[in-house]
Amino acid sequence: MPEGILCNKQVVDTKEKLNALLADKSGKQYYAEMKLLDVDTKALWATLEKTCRSRLRTWLEICAHCGMCADSCYFYLANDKDPKQVPSYKIQSTLGEIIKRKGKVDNDFMRMVMDTAWSKCSCCNRCATYCPFGIDMGVMLGYVRGLCFAQGFVPWELKIGSGMHRIYNAQMDITTEDWVDTCEWMAEEYEEDWPGLEIPVDKENADIIYTVNAREPKHYPEDLAEAAILFHLAGENWTVPSQGWEETSLAMFAGDWGACKIQVESVYAAMDRLKPKRMVVTECGHAYRATVIEGPYWAGLKSGKTPVESFHYVEWVAEALRTGKLKIDPAKRIKEPVTYQDSCNYVRNAGLGDCAREIMSYVAEDFREMRPCREHNFCCGGGGGLNGIGLYRQQRNTALKVKRDQILATGAKMVVAPCHNCWDAIRDLEEVYKIGIRWTFLKPMLLGMVEVPEHFKPQEE
Amino acid sequence: MYEFVTGPLAWLSFGIFFIGLLYRLVWYIRGLNWQMDRVTYSVNVAYGIRGALRSIFFWLVPFGTHSWRFYPGFTILVFVFHICLLATPIFLMGHNVLLLERFGFSLPTLPEGLADVMTLAVIVAAVFIILRRIALPEVRILTKPYDFLVLAIAVAPFLTGFLAYHQVGSYDFWIVAHVLSGEIMLVAIPFTKLSHFLLFFLSRAQLGMDYGIKRGGMKNKGMAW
Amino acid sequence: MFKKILFATTASPACDNAAKVAFDLEMKWDAELCVFHVLGVPSRGFSSFVTDVRTGENEQIDPDYVDWVTEEMKNTYADLLKDSENSTLEAVIGVPHREILRKARADNVDLIIMGAHTRDEDIGAARYRSVVGSTMQKVAKSARCPVVIISRPCTTCWKLFSNIVVGTDFSKPATSSFLWAARLAKEVNARLHLFHAVDIHASEPGKVKGQAEIEAHIEAARKKIDAKYLSQLKGFDNYEIGIREGTPYVEILKFAREKQADLIVMAHHTREIDPELALLGSTVEQVVLRSSCPVASVNHPDKAIAEKS
Ligand code: SF4
Ligand code: SF4
Ligand code: SF4
Repeated sequence: MPEGILCNKQVVDTKEKLNALLADKSGKQYYAEMKLLDVDTKALWATLEKTCRSRLRTWLEICAHCGMCADSCYFYLANDKDPKQVPSYKIQSTLGEIIKRKGKVDNDFMRMVMDTAWSKCSCCNRCATYCPFGIDMGVMLGYVRGLCFAQGFVPWELKIGSGMHRIYNAQMDITTEDWVDTCEWMAEEYEEDWPGLEIPVDKENADIIYTVNAREPKHYPEDLAEAAILFHLAGENWTVPSQGWEETSLAMFAGDWGACKIQVESVYAAMDRLKPKRMVVTECGHAYRATVIEGPYWAGLKSGKTPVESFHYVEWVAEALRTGKLKIDPAKRIKEPVTYQDSCNYVRNAGLGDCAREIMSYVAEDFREMRPCREHNFCCGGGGGLNGIGLYRQQRNTALKVKRDQILATGAKMVVAPCHNCWDAIRDLEEVYKIGIRWTFLKPMLLGMVEVPEHFKPQEE
Repeated sequence: MYEFVTGPLAWLSFGIFFIGLLYRLVWYIRGLNWQMDRVTYSVNVAYGIRGALRSIFFWLVPFGTHSWRFYPGFTILVFVFHICLLATPIFLMGHNVLLLERFGFSLPTLPEGLADVMTLAVIVAAVFIILRRIALPEVRILTKPYDFLVLAIAVAPFLTGFLAYHQVGSYDFWIVAHVLSGEIMLVAIPFTKLSHFLLFFLSRAQLGMDYGIKRGGMKNKGMAW
Repeated sequence: MFKKILFATTASPACDNAAKVAFDLEMKWDAELCVFHVLGVPSRGFSSFVTDVRTGENEQIDPDYVDWVTEEMKNTYADLLKDSENSTLEAVIGVPHREILRKARADNVDLIIMGAHTRDEDIGAARYRSVVGSTMQKVAKSARCPVVIISRPCTTCWKLFSNIVVGTDFSKPATSSFLWAARLAKEVNARLHLFHAVDIHASEPGKVKGQAEIEAHIEAARKKIDAKYLSQLKGFDNYEIGIREGTPYVEILKFAREKQADLIVMAHHTREIDPELALLGSTVEQVVLRSSCPVASVNHPDKAIAEKS
């Protein structure tokens, strides 16, 4: 059987296909079908000839096999220095081999490639900063994911995720009505405590257009309310779009470049429609990476920039604290030792390390850096979609060890983790390894410590 | 024989070397694609140039990057090997004498003793590089026979030159072998991993532009390599 | 008065007493009952795993699992479902308080019923209690309709209630709870006990108030009750007023016991207390845990006044 019913080379673009996939318990049938899936070697080679160009080919060719990238990869460290986890090996044994064989690889090989691309690399790009030639194995394994996706070799959850983006323009099944209703609901629920609180939808020419991670409206709408309260306290003129509000991109994790384009274009369309001055993205690392850093390229924007200037939430918070729009009550600053999880996606790969330090200088009295940190931080262990892939749960849990040891070494019991996936990974690492830490996003932490001027408080009758 | 290898064959190999590298350069640059590489090479140029220069500069400085500092031993090995490998032939007395004879100009030259030490340094560094390749599992797994071949091509001119200079055995034999191995190296540069002679700079510049333009360079002080 | 009832269950013995009341109300009031269970808490980032609410284990969610939980709910409530005419079962994934609030809002329900756990010796009680406790707090605070929390077997049918105690601290939410209690009292013909406790520790912790000061407070409270509430009773005269001094939750419990209350109604006035930190710390929860009758928490006016039909 070349093409499976669930596992095949087609994209998921109808609700029927999506529901069929969702009904498959843990992707059992899906993965069974994958074992029989044919590799379209011609198409694979054609893609390579077209898209594997001088940059990638040079990287593959000039790699000196020096192994300087080995210790940069947390998978290598977490797996007791298993040589098979050396970044260079991971790419040479996959992409390098496919090219050597001119695309003529079989099913077994492709499944090995899939395992490598998703369970041995979270595309954190740390290795790129340790290779003397600047060979970026994260970029290459991301590229390999694209090849795998086109051939149907992609983890079940990510096939679903990319399908969600194609159907709902969001990583979860949330319709425009659901979203707008959630905004109203949250404003309703919190306006009693915060008189005048609003979540304005589709306001034109606002200063800020705010966009989120679909898991917020779906399961944690408080997050949206908290953002609203902080904007309200800071006196921002802001809005959310009724459509194009989703920043994240499981399609990027999946290597479904078509869906990536569809997704970011929905956000850019909202910018064009509402003409805000700038965009602020919620506390999500890969969302920022997808929509702000890589997105313009998928959408073919020659400037390489989003239609309006875009900021990560940490940039907004740092600015609000710097300009005094938000003031921290000195008595409520964090006294205990606290550390900060640098998200690869917006720190190493978008240069926002300074914002994080600036924020911490306002809120914490005993801030402790992890080592290494900033651009050289290790991935939390759950990036690149790994957190969500059931098949690779064990590999993910092993990978968490590096972050666990880093956190332990700081002596901090509290980790500030302004990235949904990092937050999750840290929660899971506490669950798996029980090291007695707590973790938080910025919003709830800030809400607990900002000064609230009298006129923002509800009037008792 | 000596006449032949230092005459027409030398011209040929230099020709292949330069044309090959030129081809590499053109091929590399033409193969870049802003959308596929996701770097706007021709927009935000100033950020790109800054990123590229930083990326090359820090990596040319011994211990200039986190990575160099992380592997101090290997870093010393790499820098000694490369500096000696490049400097010795260019500033060697013997080569410059030839240069003067044939083209009427020469470069400053190294004292003979120092050149000798540097030649030895290349050879010794190569030996350690080989040992490291075999000893460390994370390097062994990457190693292919090809890697030894490339190293051999690079070190052969030094070994033969050293033997010729010290007149171990037949000078005539070693000197021809020396010139030949040098020419093999020149020819091999564009066609093997030795192309990193040029591609190191291009690849580093490319990643530097990536960081300088897209991955934060427009918002921070530049990647802390 | 109760057309739609939402019974938020944990599908475990802790909810048995609450379940009886929920089904009883459904029949007596001809209401629609939705038996609602939130089974797994999803994570913040991308993941298809959820934390099972009951076991704390990680589970991968699929329709089978949800069906299986629904099936299990059917078994748990088999006896009660037998006589039920208008009830539905629903199991969903999400954060419990959030999904309960979402459902209540979407269906515009008139009452939410929840069970509470009171026995420490049960397996997993501590963990369980913290989930249930914080869920209860959050639901009670934000729900637009009354939330009734039942921890002990309820002997009296609601239609036969004879004493309803409403505790007030004169806050805005308390007005809502008073109005709803009055509405219920009228409907079932029960006696309404308006109660206020002068908190002797409130003003300055550690400093106990003098007798004269307390007297003055009591007098002031009585005036307030007159002004604020009595005028709104509009002809209903089956009420009495009780004012005590002490620690509010102790006093209201004592009062309810004396009056043989069938129901305690109060507002959830814990804005300053973070429910995560002050588990079971609020007055409402202290009352819930110790009360022998159900406790209704009413904080919003939405369902307090009879809709004009
Ligand atoms: S550090 Fe760079 S050159 Fe060395 S093995 Fe790794 S990828 Fe290859
Ligand atoms: S990108 Fe990160 S996870 Fe992937 S190989 Fe490089 S260091 Fe390892
Ligand atoms: S989950 Fe966080 S740490 Fe991991 S790759 Fe993403 S941003 Fe980096």
